Amino acid sequence: MIPASVATQRPPDARLLVIDKWGAITHRVRVDFPALVDEGDVVVANDAATLPASLAGIHVPTASAVEVRLAGRDSLRTRDVTRFTVVVFGAGDFRTPTEHRPAPPALDPGDRLRLGPLRAIVQKVLGHPRLIEVRFEHTVADIWEGLARHGRPIQYSYVPEPTAIWDTWTPIAGLPVAFEAPSAGFILDWRVIGALCARGAAFATLTHAAGISSTGDARLDRLLPLDEPYDIPSSTAASIEACKGRGGRVIAIGTTVVRALEHAAHADGTVRPGEGTATQRIGPLTPLRCVDAIVSGTHERGTSHYDVLRAFQDDAVLVRMEREADALGYRTHEFGDSVFLSDGRPTVADAELASASEGWCGRGDSKRGVVARVSSCREMLFASANRGFIPRSMTCPVASCRGVRDRFVSDHAAPVVTNRGD
Amino acid sequence: MSGEQQQLRIAITGGTSGLGRALVHELGGRGALVAFVARHREGVERVARERPGATGIVGDVSRKEDIHPIAIQVLAALGGLDVLINNASSLGPVPLVPLADTDCEDLELALATNLVGPFRLTKALLGTLAASAREGRRPLVVNVSSDAALTPYAGWGAYGASKAALHHLSRIWSEELASEGIRVVSIDPGDMDTPLHALAVPGADRSTLKSPDAAAREIADICGADLPPSHEASADRRVGPPVRTDRPALASRVAQRPDLGGGGNGPRGLTTPVAVPGHEVVQ
Repeated sequence: MIPASVATQRPPDARLLVIDKWGAITHRVRVDFPALVDEGDVVVANDAATLPASLAGIHVPTASAVEVRLAGRDSLRTRDVTRFTVVVFGAGDFRTPTEHRPAPPALDPGDRLRLGPLRAIVQKVLGHPRLIEVRFEHTVADIWEGLARHGRPIQYSYVPEPTAIWDTWTPIAGLPVAFEAPSAGFILDWRVIGALCARGAAFATLTHAAGISSTGDARLDRLLPLDEPYDIPSSTAASIEACKGRGGRVIAIGTTVVRALEHAAHADGTVRPGEGTATQRIGPLTPLRCVDAIVSGTHERGTSHYDVLRAFQDDAVLVRMEREADALGYRTHEFGDSVFLSDGRPTVADAELASASEGWCGRGDSKRGVVARVSSCREMLFASANRGFIPRSMTCPVASCRGVRDRFVSDHAAPVVTNRGD
Repeated sequence: MSGEQQQLRIAITGGTSGLGRALVHELGGRGALVAFVARHREGVERVARERPGATGIVGDVSRKEDIHPIAIQVLAALGGLDVLINNASSLGPVPLVPLADTDCEDLELALATNLVGPFRLTKALLGTLAASAREGRRPLVVNVSSDAALTPYAGWGAYGASKAALHHLSRIWSEELASEGIRVVSIDPGDMDTPLHALAVPGADRSTLKSPDAAAREIADICGADLPPSHEASADRRVGPPVRTDRPALASRVAQRPDLGGGGNGPRGLTTPVAVPGHEVVQ
């Protein structure tokens, strides 16, 4: 995919790739997003504003230029800013892709850093020579003033013009606690929020300290995402509970919302309000207890953000998604196009339905095995649908699965025809 | 964090002189959590010393580059926001001159301070104000206006035109943000004995001018800030509609003020104009 190279949050031609719960893909203009939201749904967004988290300065012991990127802290409390986890880059700026940036000097506990008006001391090295904890030697107010005036938002090498702080704040941005923009929220403006509410959906927010998504260093990236504190207002928890009660969907704007809600989720899909710290990795085996659909940017395979998408749809579907997005010239990265994924991972209930309808599930199969078969049947259904018809009695590699087929047909109004030889 | 903060969280621009400084003291004295903004560090530090607990922020609302640093520091100091008072004002060219003698750059500067600055800062803080509304805290934006916004006084062209634009901006925003639960009001505090007034009308009889403290008390009432217990009995300090101080929850304080659109009339009721007897309070 092509990187979006202009820091425009809502380009008028932005697109939205939509995957329904069956894995079927359609393409829309992104301003149509409210049309995908139904009465009774709740749309949850991350209202964190983006910190100017990139601090240029000097590593005092070696007098070498460094860039310090704030990457994590213990809580969202605005008084709790003395200690940060940071990633250190060597000399240079964003015009050099991070993977080509020189390494910083060796960093040892006790080393002093001078970052514009801010002074910091290296506290410890955290499992990687460039991932360290620093302590700022100032009052809380002076730390905030230093960050606000000297810091710049983290820049992107594929956006040639410098990205300004206002480019990184979503329209709903509130507390400045995100290290990088919660960029899925760029889809929102006040008209979109009004349109969602006019459709009878609810709009709610949480605050989550969206962290650095990649550093250009494979070993360091494997440590991501770092633990991320979040705060779920009681009004949002109530909104979600009401939504679950009426059978609506919880639609998360961005991977950070999924991470926070799933971390706070009870087994019944409601969430615990208040502060927490999301520590879990979300991936293909993560059951989604709260969130039913996600709006996201198009993430690169192998990143922790991409893995969140794998909790919603099978890899085979995501491969189709990437193929279509590539073919149609979708733009990627923060200011790019978006995807809307419904939770389509077959549930055990789906599999049992399929199994009951036709008895194709051999007795003694594990539930996970059954789920995998339903996935492969689905992919075959799509292959058939792309040819223009669905065989009346489709034979899948495992067995005939009419139950899955019938539900697919009723959801898609796809023509069912008698295949040759049927 | 969410729901914990019971104090009213208030940001005031132009907080080191005149009405702004009086507001820092009045609202701080009523127990609100206050952050204030002004251009000069000495003034900011002075007022911060006068009112311990209030956070002073150095910034110029007329400068685009200052807006987000101001917003970041306001939010860091308050942890959220319930009331934004856009009070910082520029007279335009001083001494006052007719429009025909006003340099275009001076008009631009007046617009930057009196119109574009409040617009930018409000926009940067709108996400927080909307979050406050969702938590039932009934957020409010107060834009400090002037009778010069409505009456065409000769010599007050740059100031009057920029305040007229701010006044109209407030009314439109009030309509548009009602559905978000954010109230926007434009308030004329009256002719006050302030440094700004002295610049505009050097020879004015100060005894005829209203004290900024009195105007600050009226605006504090409109903000829904409770009077401190020591002041509850002194009726003479209450200018404007009486404010009951026995209400426990922040959200309900303003909600029960029919003049502020409370009283369960639904979101549209939020746009009900504010009227303070004896003063032209415009919306």
